[in-house]
Amino acid sequence: MLRKLVICSVALLGWVTSTPANAELRIFACEPEWAALAREIGGDKITAYSATHERQDPHYIRARPSLIAKIRRADMVFCTGAELEIGWLPLLMQRGARAKIRAGKPGHFMAAQHVPLREKPIAVDRSMGDVHPDGNPHIHLDPRNIILIARELTKRLSKIDAQNAGAYAQNLKSFESGWAAQLMKWQNQLHDLRNMPVVVHHRSWSYLIAWLGLKEVGSLEAKPGIPPTASHLQALLKIAAQAKTKAILRTPFDQSAPSEWLSQKANIPALILPFTVSREAKPGALQLLFDNILSLLRRANGQS
Amino acid sequence: MTKRYIRAVAAIAVPVCLASAPVAAADKQELQKILQEVQLLKKSYEDRIATLENKLRGLEQKKASSNKAATPASSSRSIKGNSFNPSIGLILNGRASSFSEKTSEISGFGVGEEGERGKEGLSIGESELNFSANVDDKFYASSTVAIVQEDGSDKIELEEAYIQTLPDAGLPDGLRLKAGRALWTLGYLNEHHSHADDFADRPLPYRVFLNKSFNDDGVEFSYVVPADTYIEFGGGVFRGDDFPAGGSASGLGAWSAFARVGGDIGDNHALRLGAYTLHTDVNSRATNEGAVTFAGKSNTYAADLRYTWAPTGNPKDKELILQSEFFHRDEDGIYNDTGATTGNVNFDGSSQGWYAQAVYKFAPSWRVGARYSQLLAADTPAGLVGSALDSAGHDPNTVSVMGDWTNSEFGRVRVQYNREELSNGKEDNQFILQYIMSIGAHGAHAF
Repeated sequence: MLRKLVICSVALLGWVTSTPANAELRIFACEPEWAALAREIGGDKITAYSATHERQDPHYIRARPSLIAKIRRADMVFCTGAELEIGWLPLLMQRGARAKIRAGKPGHFMAAQHVPLREKPIAVDRSMGDVHPDGNPHIHLDPRNIILIARELTKRLSKIDAQNAGAYAQNLKSFESGWAAQLMKWQNQLHDLRNMPVVVHHRSWSYLIAWLGLKEVGSLEAKPGIPPTASHLQALLKIAAQAKTKAILRTPFDQSAPSEWLSQKANIPALILPFTVSREAKPGALQLLFDNILSLLRRANGQS
Repeated sequence: MTKRYIRAVAAIAVPVCLASAPVAAADKQELQKILQEVQLLKKSYEDRIATLENKLRGLEQKKASSNKAATPASSSRSIKGNSFNPSIGLILNGRASSFSEKTSEISGFGVGEEGERGKEGLSIGESELNFSANVDDKFYASSTVAIVQEDGSDKIELEEAYIQTLPDAGLPDGLRLKAGRALWTLGYLNEHHSHADDFADRPLPYRVFLNKSFNDDGVEFSYVVPADTYIEFGGGVFRGDDFPAGGSASGLGAWSAFARVGGDIGDNHALRLGAYTLHTDVNSRATNEGAVTFAGKSNTYAADLRYTWAPTGNPKDKELILQSEFFHRDEDGIYNDTGATTGNVNFDGSSQGWYAQAVYKFAPSWRVGARYSQLLAADTPAGLVGSALDSAGHDPNTVSVMGDWTNSEFGRVRVQYNREELSNGKEDNQFILQYIMSIGAHGAHAF
């Protein structure tokens, strides 16, 4: 039994080490938006894998064997941080035992460390629900953050793979200019949405709301991460109606029942906004994401 | 202060992004148009940026200095794994049990103390106190102390006390070493603390083959192969004190090896398979409250399977988990049942045990599960007929069903019903009501 095992292991090792080393940098992204951004900046010099897909809530992911295998060979781990992935990423890092992506190395890139965070609590207690002590981690829905993160990513990539630093800088340049043009376009649409009253399911939209200047009337979850309760919804019904709420926002992975209930009672449209891009997103997908979100919001607000 | 800080950064970020706009614009006319607009924007923002930048710099300096001042743990109120060194976690669990049979013996097997049926009535189970932290850049250490009640008094049991290498320890990537006392890699459940189990009690094979869990003193290595599929193998050497070993003479009485493979099937299915072996030299192993002793060789082989399916990709909402383990044990040595005054009897036989379970989360806080476990005892040598090791042709088995309610990831309440037929003609109907709560730091559970 043991001899067989040893023979198998040695054979396996031989097979693995004999596989030609892939020249492309392997980027392990925790969320699809970061995989998409990595593809924008990395171009053909990298391959990006997203640990989650667009219908998954990145708070709650199992540390599956497939993810251990992916992180084992990663040259960079590119995640949100701010404890969004606290339930699974540390475990993967530990199991993968990969020196070049451990905390402190350029290959360990937590996006939230490079943008200002909102809603940082002063005191945290578990009776308050799933509060992130570092602040709200859903940073990617403010397009201005995307640029800050793209720049830091370029720095990191150039450090890890100095040979291709020129290509990364070039990619950043063209991404930035494209993004700036988009920002300008979006900026023109912002005025119509300013102060649009909305109710959210979870505080997934805080950065989007801040960027667009929407008015958050309330959230379906009385406490973050704790499913909405009947009494809280009843109270919210009054507030939402008084505020002339235009839409109830939720992600594709939030439960539908609470927002549909409120939608019916208060006659406010329940809106599923895309929260991120697809797992295999091609370059340009991030811009489309914001285009989609804006057009859905404008429609709900009575503009076209 | 934070708000102003955010606004300042945003105000800087936007125009800076805009400034680089013309570079890639293909159309020359558009390029010029954009350039003009940007210039305008730039000018109008320049003054504000300058002042904001200064403010920001000041704020950052202030923040940096205030952060330094705030470092002492006493001033921090956040509950974070890193805020305390070490992280401290406490797991409390209590139960109320009712059994229809007065006694419970698993016929055909020598059963250790922790493999026995739990206590009837109200009781607290193991209270686990865990301390863990990175020692430095190269090592991680963890210790779990269980406070259990045995023979009417509270006893402290050292469940785990180990160190483990970190990725920066200088070992090749994927290789880890663990030393000390730990719940070693053997099957699925063994390396998990019982508070993470899906049922209130361990299945029969764990009770008879591992005395609930194998946590001897020793060293183990594991290596994750750099491949697209998850492949991990490893092995260890142990002192040989913990069941199924017992009182090693040399202090090096057991060794193990294992291999695991796993991966995803599509977006929402995951699978893991494993094979394990544990070899022990048993100097003297007492079971059945000291009545049965064994000396000789005891080798355990195990295989496990775990499959998870989250229909929407979100295990938080809905999830099906199938799990099964199979054990085979070869023993060659001398058994003695003083209770049945058998004297020393030569024994060379093998026994098996397995269980299969399904747990379904049908709503975010609610799960139901069913489990079947069964044992197949070894053939009884003539000298052991009528002893505790005589199964009399009966295969001990248990049917369990459970339902649990999870208020948050830190608290769970469970009801369970077992129908145990552990010896011929004895049907034990058991009801268990259990709570499991954790406070303090609580590490994520492995797959």
